Amino acid sequence: MPSQRGIQRRRQRKKINSTFELQLTSMMDALVIIVVFLLKSYNVSQNNFSTTPGLELPLSHSPETPSDSIQVVITPASLTVENERVLDFIQTAANPGSTNARYDFKKGDLDDEGRKVVPLYDALIKAREKTELLLSKSKVRINGKPAPFEGVLAVQADRRVRYDTIRKIMYTGSQAGYSIFRFLARKNEV
Amino acid sequence: MLKRPTSRRKSNAGGIQINLVPILDTMVTLIGFLLFTTSFIALVSIESPLPVIRPEKNQDLNPEQPLQLTLTLRENEVEISSPFHKIKPKTIPNQEGKADTKAIHESLLEIKKLFPKELTVVLIPSQFTLYDSLIALMDAARLMTATDPPIYLKNEQTGYDEPIKQLFPKVVFGNLLENS
Repeated sequence: MPSQRGIQRRRQRKKINSTFELQLTSMMDALVIIVVFLLKSYNVSQNNFSTTPGLELPLSHSPETPSDSIQVVITPASLTVENERVLDFIQTAANPGSTNARYDFKKGDLDDEGRKVVPLYDALIKAREKTELLLSKSKVRINGKPAPFEGVLAVQADRRVRYDTIRKIMYTGSQAGYSIFRFLARKNEV
Repeated sequence: MLKRPTSRRKSNAGGIQINLVPILDTMVTLIGFLLFTTSFIALVSIESPLPVIRPEKNQDLNPEQPLQLTLTLRENEVEISSPFHKIKPKTIPNQEGKADTKAIHESLLEIKKLFPKELTVVLIPSQFTLYDSLIALMDAARLMTATDPPIYLKNEQTGYDEPIKQLFPKVVFGNLLENS
């Protein structure tokens, strides 16, 4: 028969074990691994380019990373300049997100024998003037003068966009004073 | 006389417990910030300058005609040529509806061996050429791959032969300013 003292000791032991503490060490280990992974894959980029949902960029082996510049994005539905919608393409049932999207401009949007896209031209001129104003107010000076407008236009387009559309955009850009075209693509890691 | 027992045995066996909760808080905040700001899609760029039309006067000043390597993209083939007949024109048929970038790259390598100082290639795509094909062609024309045989060019500053890192890095669209 167990003694009275033995029973008391067992009760005390049970009381001690009833206060349980959460083991945070293993959780800390997992979080440290995640933080290290994220810090390793974190890249500080010099641009504010972001991809648009539904836009399938082509792959490229080019080693050059794009620096910040004025950006035109050709989505299946519309054309945007600096994240502002400039015009809509002619919509067909196949257009949004489809492989048959045509990216055709409305006749009223075209000028100069169908080569210049008027709303895009206006938006690019506006963006250029804004950049030139910022450059003139900037403290950066070259021989006492503000830094010149570089005239770089970044083009982000879906892989299915035809050259016909890109050409009109490039021609319009050239008319608005842009002399360098920067085509964006997804980095091909293979 | 017995030795005095060591004080280590007397010390608290549990040790000091560090409060991990604030560290955990910091970690969770840091992970949230990193996840929010990291971009998992790496973007790259290919630059192309606007073509410049040289006036005929300047053309007369330079008696030696340039190579002006031209890639003409047609519906079923790609033609590699020079308007000044510096190279023999070559036609490469498309493979499965797409330009055969591998064959084009190999042909351009042969041309680069003949004209190692040449940097420009003129691209004349058809209106139906897709952006995807344009990027693939520009890659094939601009970049040297690891498996390519090395092409050497004498560095005029050092006097040593150095391997060329890029094929024809300057891509210009030849029909950009033409009427459609």
